[in-house]
Amino acid sequence: MIKSPLKSKVDSRDGKLAMAHLYVAFIALLVGGLAGLLQVLVRSGKFQLPAGIGYYQILTVHGVVLGLVLTTFFIMGFQLSVVSKTAGTFTGKQRTVGWIGFWIMTIGTIAAAVMILLNKASVLYTFYAPLQAHFIFYLGLTLVVVGSWTVGAAIIMKYAEWRRANPGQQSPLLTFMALVNTLMWIVATIGVAATVLIQLLPWSLGWVDTVNVAVSRTLFWYFGHPLVYFWLLPAYMVWYAIIPKIIGGKIFSDSLARMSFILFLLFSIPVGFHHQLLEPGIDAAWKFLQVVLTFAVVIPSLMTAFSLFASFETFGRSKGAKGLFGWLKKLPWGDARFTVPFIGMVAFIPAGAGGIVNASHQMNQVIHNTIWVTGHFHLTVATAVVLTFFGAAFWLVPHLTGRKLTKKMNKLALIQGSLWAIGMTFMSGAMHAAGLLGAPRRSAFSDYGGSAQAAEWIPYQIAQAVGGSILFIAIILMLYIFINLAFFAPKGEQEFPVGEALHPEEKAPMVFENWKLWLGITVLLILFAYTIPFIDLIQNAPPGSKGFKLW
Amino acid sequence: MAKAELKSNTKTEIEDSSSLKGTLASVFFIGFFIIVLWVGVYFLYLDRF
Repeated sequence: MIKSPLKSKVDSRDGKLAMAHLYVAFIALLVGGLAGLLQVLVRSGKFQLPAGIGYYQILTVHGVVLGLVLTTFFIMGFQLSVVSKTAGTFTGKQRTVGWIGFWIMTIGTIAAAVMILLNKASVLYTFYAPLQAHFIFYLGLTLVVVGSWTVGAAIIMKYAEWRRANPGQQSPLLTFMALVNTLMWIVATIGVAATVLIQLLPWSLGWVDTVNVAVSRTLFWYFGHPLVYFWLLPAYMVWYAIIPKIIGGKIFSDSLARMSFILFLLFSIPVGFHHQLLEPGIDAAWKFLQVVLTFAVVIPSLMTAFSLFASFETFGRSKGAKGLFGWLKKLPWGDARFTVPFIGMVAFIPAGAGGIVNASHQMNQVIHNTIWVTGHFHLTVATAVVLTFFGAAFWLVPHLTGRKLTKKMNKLALIQGSLWAIGMTFMSGAMHAAGLLGAPRRSAFSDYGGSAQAAEWIPYQIAQAVGGSILFIAIILMLYIFINLAFFAPKGEQEFPVGEALHPEEKAPMVFENWKLWLGITVLLILFAYTIPFIDLIQNAPPGSKGFKLW
Repeated sequence: MAKAELKSNTKTEIEDSSSLKGTLASVFFIGFFIIVLWVGVYFLYLDRF
């Protein structure tokens, strides 16, 4: 056990690298959050954007800055921290690679953001062709992806070094999890890199006139679904391996956690067609296959739910809890490091259930392109994931800056989490309901020529504006807490919680670290799910489309 | 007498600190929630298409 160099503190040089990522992430929270507030206000029908700012422009800001920038930067900073903590301080070379990656991502982010703010790239965060952005927008996104690969390389180098130094040993759980997420991210981003470099960049530069829309959308969703698991797995790292330590309990099973992460690596990628169930050009049999694989991802998510409940119950019973749910009372509800991520876990129950509806082939017709889907991913990424990230920031930021989470900040953090829960219940609940009544997503306010059906949606749009405004207050509160923890909280030692397994003598099978095997199966599944559909899409392609700028 | 002993033994077993009956109930709750939502939207689908 001593073999793993579990240090009490993350080295300050690694801490600076991680914090650089978190600063960008929280600036993104402010910008993206403000755009979100403006959107719900516009959609209420009571507010118009000033100064010729377009709805689709702020919609693009919101999606790109929160969905791509906040998440990627936070995740990279978080993963660097957990690897430094559990596998040891980065070497000078590894850290330099990390910094190079950070700057490439940051330059790319600024380039893409400037193009969006200049209204040259109002193509939403999915940047679907044939909407055509300025080429610098695509170039910026490419740099964000390449930068994230470079930061990922630092994590892979550290893992490889650890394995060389500890032959025959299983790697520390959090390092293993960060590695799985990094590998999945690299395999997944090949799809978005391919569509941007081969299709969208040459087309936006005018080197080619037309683009194969179906191929670009398919490559996007080859990346787009594992993207949501790239967001989710760091939250699962906190749930599996950190929350048990915060509550004073144990990780229910180290092997189960590793196995669920391996299943995510295998099944997260060959599932993109469930976003394209209503698109022509893809044979229904291949859609069916990818729906089956999508349902396979339900298994590791339910394993996670089981494991978390088991950790909580085992802890509660060790404290003398009685009855079926007595253990719930023993959990540390006054500790924001636990309670805020717990709200996220609860949100993941309706979020996951909604996802199963979305992925069911025929039922997708009920909700496709409605605002139900927006409600769905505001429960997954914008509640389950983000509240877990906030919960991690409450100890990670002061740990890295040599400060302490004070009682006052903890209290504010609890208020922040509660406000988020209330705001999201209104906003996401109203989005789900309006979606079932047919309200479209991705669209500015309209009464659709006085249509009776569109009139039914208006009360829900008001509810979304109320919820969104409460969420914006929660965002301001979160930024206040972040700035306090980064710059003003009293100096001290904040614990970096790393859970221990309930039965440490039970070693996980070494086969979990056999990357040739797991990456091999991943690639085989991808080839199986995608090869023939791609041949169909290319061979039977309709004439390509020229670019459109509809904003 | 024997009967009473048996009863108290069973009770000890249920209150065992390693019991995961709450976990079982919780995951069943999630399962039912998923099924109820799915069936609800399924009937909406049948109704509309």
